Amino acid sequence: MSSDYEFSDNEGEYYDSDEMMDDYQNDDDEEMETYEYNNNNNTNDNDYDYTNDDDFRIPTKSKSKSYQVEYTSLTQSLVEKAMKEEVDHVSGIFGVEPSTATLLLRHSGWNKERLIDKYMENPTQVLVESGCQVPEPIPSSSSSHSVDDKSGSGSRRATRSSSKLSLLSSSITSSNRSSSHKKISSTSDSSTTFTCPICYDDSPSLTALSLTCAHSACSGCWNAYAISKIRDEGEHCIRCMTEGCAIVAPDEFIHSVLRDDGKDLIRFQELVVRGFVASNPKLKFCPYPGCTNTVSCPSAAGKSVLSTLVPIVSCGARGITSSASNQNQNPSSFSTSSALSTTTTTTTSLHNKEHIFCFGCPIESDHRPVICAVARLWMKKCEDDSETANWIKSNTKECSQCQSTIEKNGGCNHMTCKKCRYEFCWVCMGPWSEHGTAWYSCNRYDEKGGVEARDAQSRSRASLERYLHYYNRWANHEQSTKLSLDLYAKTEKKMSDMQITSSLTWIEVQFMKKAVEALEKCRETLKWTYAMGYYLGRGNEKELFEDNQRDLERAVEDLAELLEGGGVEMEKEKENVGGLRQRITDKTVYVQKRNEIMLEDTAIGFQDGRWKWNVGVDGFEEPIEDFGGVV
Amino acid sequence: MSGICRVRLAEERKQWRKDHPFGFYAKPAKSADGSMNLLEWEVGIPGKTGTPWEGGLFKLTMIFPEDYPSKPPKCKFTPPLFHPNVYPSGTVCLSILDEEKSWKPAITIRQILLGIQDLLDDPNVLDPAQSDAYTMFKNDKVAYEKKIKIQARDNISR
Repeated sequence: MSSDYEFSDNEGEYYDSDEMMDDYQNDDDEEMETYEYNNNNNTNDNDYDYTNDDDFRIPTKSKSKSYQVEYTSLTQSLVEKAMKEEVDHVSGIFGVEPSTATLLLRHSGWNKERLIDKYMENPTQVLVESGCQVPEPIPSSSSSHSVDDKSGSGSRRATRSSSKLSLLSSSITSSNRSSSHKKISSTSDSSTTFTCPICYDDSPSLTALSLTCAHSACSGCWNAYAISKIRDEGEHCIRCMTEGCAIVAPDEFIHSVLRDDGKDLIRFQELVVRGFVASNPKLKFCPYPGCTNTVSCPSAAGKSVLSTLVPIVSCGARGITSSASNQNQNPSSFSTSSALSTTTTTTTSLHNKEHIFCFGCPIESDHRPVICAVARLWMKKCEDDSETANWIKSNTKECSQCQSTIEKNGGCNHMTCKKCRYEFCWVCMGPWSEHGTAWYSCNRYDEKGGVEARDAQSRSRASLERYLHYYNRWANHEQSTKLSLDLYAKTEKKMSDMQITSSLTWIEVQFMKKAVEALEKCRETLKWTYAMGYYLGRGNEKELFEDNQRDLERAVEDLAELLEGGGVEMEKEKENVGGLRQRITDKTVYVQKRNEIMLEDTAIGFQDGRWKWNVGVDGFEEPIEDFGGVV
Repeated sequence: MSGICRVRLAEERKQWRKDHPFGFYAKPAKSADGSMNLLEWEVGIPGKTGTPWEGGLFKLTMIFPEDYPSKPPKCKFTPPLFHPNVYPSGTVCLSILDEEKSWKPAITIRQILLGIQDLLDDPNVLDPAQSDAYTMFKNDKVAYEKKIKIQARDNISR
């Protein structure tokens, strides 16, 4: 609004000015106008923010943050549109039907350039390979090789039996003819009667369907076959049911075959889209169950960039009842008295989590600040039983002769291996014979063999302790994140209580919800900083990282205590609620800022190549230090 | 779908009784109460003449799923056979019996059995299913053939 006013003001000024300067001033003015407009827009945004979440002055996140990636989320219909554009393009170039172009593109993994090259070279071969055209019948054996080129002998067999098949099918039809003669004498002109080669049904009402290969089967068999392929195998490339025939059914055919079942048709369409998305490195399907959205993130398409950024994206969908609860939430936000209805709507809205996932790896959560490769290393370490082996290493010893594992559960230090009868001292691991009778003095303490054995053991013990240090903190934050559902419920109750006991309105108690959300988010970050810390190589950089981590952790714990602790109960008194609100709000803002710093700093570190690891990570230099036993 | 399954199996049975390759047998198994179970067939596959498998008649159970012929039957040698493409459980590993490879609903029982007979003397070394037979086949053909001959003698037809 104000920009309009200023603009007209400027214009007035400009009319007053010298006409000779017209052009120059006009340029200038236009520049000013755009500047004003942008500026205005910004303040508008901020204004909107203030009205929306009152005290939270963290500005809306711009895409320019170094720990964020540019991406767009697409609905299934948008992806379908993109697919159609590709198909139309190819169909136009080759002069083929769109359905044929679809099959060609799918066969070539949607790689248009390669398809065009190959098609220009030998269109017939490409058409045959994609299952659009029946191979030329002249060379009888070579055709089947192109169909099944994986196992040489297998294809030989297939050829042999397919020749048998043709004999067989002719014999079947002839025998059918005789049987139908016997059964129904009225339909004696059986040359026109169709017998489905799959179900052997020959009722006259049967509809025979076939692809370009002319291998007919009844519509019921096609329906059953297509459904079984779609449901059980998740396959959208459905070939002719005749042995050795590689003709692929076009989409229109599948649509007509599935006519009566909307669910399978939807699934088929989804499989088609998934195939397209999977073959395009710039796209990724949302991994959340039941979600059909796709994210396009060209900046994270290559494997090499994953060592410099963490492409955390969101598909744009929320929870299950996203639209419904949003609609409910908005009108109720203006009602101040109806606490009950507010609680019910917020219950749904709090659980409507965004579909956040990593574009670069299969982890379905926000694993910032740590990059995919290191996050995967950590997950693997936590999952597999390498730590069991570590426990065995620290709590047991190996017989120095036969290497069987021994756990000492009592008795004296004079060990006799049960397996090989080797006698040794548990304390120094040296042979017992060297101890004579005075084992307790262990006068062979510096014996070479004994020292080596002890060193190996203490090393593995230290490495286990180191791992446990990081793992315990990681697991603790994970546990707390899981418990945040309870916290949500508790917070909701407090929020509704507050509306009753104090004069605060619904919009004014939202600070609690904001705090819980911030807490959960920061715990997620903190959790992954421990995975990163475990693999970070020692040095100044790591110390700085750990300082940031400490600050964030302290802020998070403070806020958590404020939210969960008794403080809330005590200060819920009318006069104190304002103060509590202020304190929680302040802490929330601080926690968000610390989180921002943590993410920002690590992200910049990845861009600058500042981080060094203590293990080998793809795309990085060699590990800078070696912890014996930590891999 | 089960409708297709039973009708198709009944028809396969009829075709088989009318005509089947020499030396083979195939019949639906009898349930405990004496009724015929169309979903499980007991079959016998003879070894080809002129091969070490000659003279043997190898027993096999075919188990048809409810969505046959959309899905292939499971073919299992009872007892398990010494052969590179037979799993230790007796299950046959053959591309035409794999729904994700070359299985097609139009493949008949007759074709399956002839395919398995072909496989006996022509194992697919690219797709081994048991280590014993595979290693011997790869490393010591003489011992392998000897073992196959013994196996054929042990599985002689009645």
